[in-house]
Amino acid sequence: MTPDWTEDQPIYRQLRDKVVDAIMDGSLKEGEPLPSVRTVAVELQINPITASKAYQELVGEQLVEKRRGLGMFVVEGARGRLLEAERRRFMEQEWPKVLERMKKLELDARELLKTVTNGNAGGAQ
Amino acid sequence: MTPVIQARGLSKSYNGFAALKDATFTIPLGRIVGVIGSNGAGKTTLLNSILGLVRYDGELEVLGLNPATHRAALMRDVSFIADVATLPRWMRVDQVLDYVAGVHPRFGRDKALDYLARTTVPLDKRVRALSKGMVAQVHLAIVMAVDAKLLVLDEPTLGLDIIFRKTFYANLLEDYFDKERTIIVTTHQVEEVEHILSDVMFIRDGRVVLEATTDELGDRFVEVMVDAERVDEARAMGPLAEREAFGRKVFVFENPDRDRLVALGECRRMGLADIFVAKMTGETA
Repeated sequence: MTPDWTEDQPIYRQLRDKVVDAIMDGSLKEGEPLPSVRTVAVELQINPITASKAYQELVGEQLVEKRRGLGMFVVEGARGRLLEAERRRFMEQEWPKVLERMKKLELDARELLKTVTNGNAGGAQ
Repeated sequence: MTPVIQARGLSKSYNGFAALKDATFTIPLGRIVGVIGSNGAGKTTLLNSILGLVRYDGELEVLGLNPATHRAALMRDVSFIADVATLPRWMRVDQVLDYVAGVHPRFGRDKALDYLARTTVPLDKRVRALSKGMVAQVHLAIVMAVDAKLLVLDEPTLGLDIIFRKTFYANLLEDYFDKERTIIVTTHQVEEVEHILSDVMFIRDGRVVLEATTDELGDRFVEVMVDAERVDEARAMGPLAEREAFGRKVFVFENPDRDRLVALGECRRMGLADIFVAKMTGETA
């Protein structure tokens, strides 16, 4: 079971992103332990040094903490902070592009909003 | 920390043929090092020197010992697989374990049995009755049950099927490797070991032409797709290799000037196999 690594980023970075995705979509919950470095290395067939580098990265971002003798855990509030950062990124980088596109296509924001409330849109909980 | 292996000016000739030329390199503790080179590049000669199996010129220290003069002492801490699929064909599997237990002071028979219990290998069958994959599993069980500091693997998965090859490396990571141990592996199947390696060493015509951590590699080698009108500009920057792709040229650079390169076209990180080919042949496949 080798995951689909790409070549545009170092493996440790891609592993870090996978963990972040798991925290965001809730498959890895706050307070839950991360698999051990060895387990990750074996399952993903990567060098343990790479796996631990990814974990260090997450510790540096204060999304994960090391508990002595127990391993790595997702810190409380990690998902909230990730969501906040992602929302900020969306508003700053993606939303202006969406607005521009809407303008180009002469789409009416109010009309669009109707499809959101009627349909399957999520939005903030 | 003292490195596991330190070589300075290591050379070896066979009847005037220079198999190793002035190899200088260092391998620290707790690494998995891939020695990569074409057939006849000198990989096996290098490993044989490390194991004290051949005489050589130059300086070489393995675990603080000179392999040429202290081979017996060194072998207490070194395990070696030349070709996983060879073991005495007339022995039963349990006899093979007895034999190793008799000759190797650091061999944990229980550990080997424990590992084999998780496989389908029958202990009461002779080696010749086993499949190639099973022989390899016995071999791996023995090697992993030796409490060695350095494990040397020369083409360990040659001739084995893909599933076994995957399990082989997974087992090494799970049951053997830790930060107190070092593994050196030579292989042709670069893609398979790429992400397991922490370091790589390229050998060409007996020379070590590249020694780097796998992390460094991604920054050091860059592939750029260049539009036709800027080809001359790219060539002027001294590319390692160039090839044709979808009517455009792809150039490989080693340690390039990043800013100039980004201006030329879309930059891409490269996989180990592509880096190897670019470095070795001066052109990419």
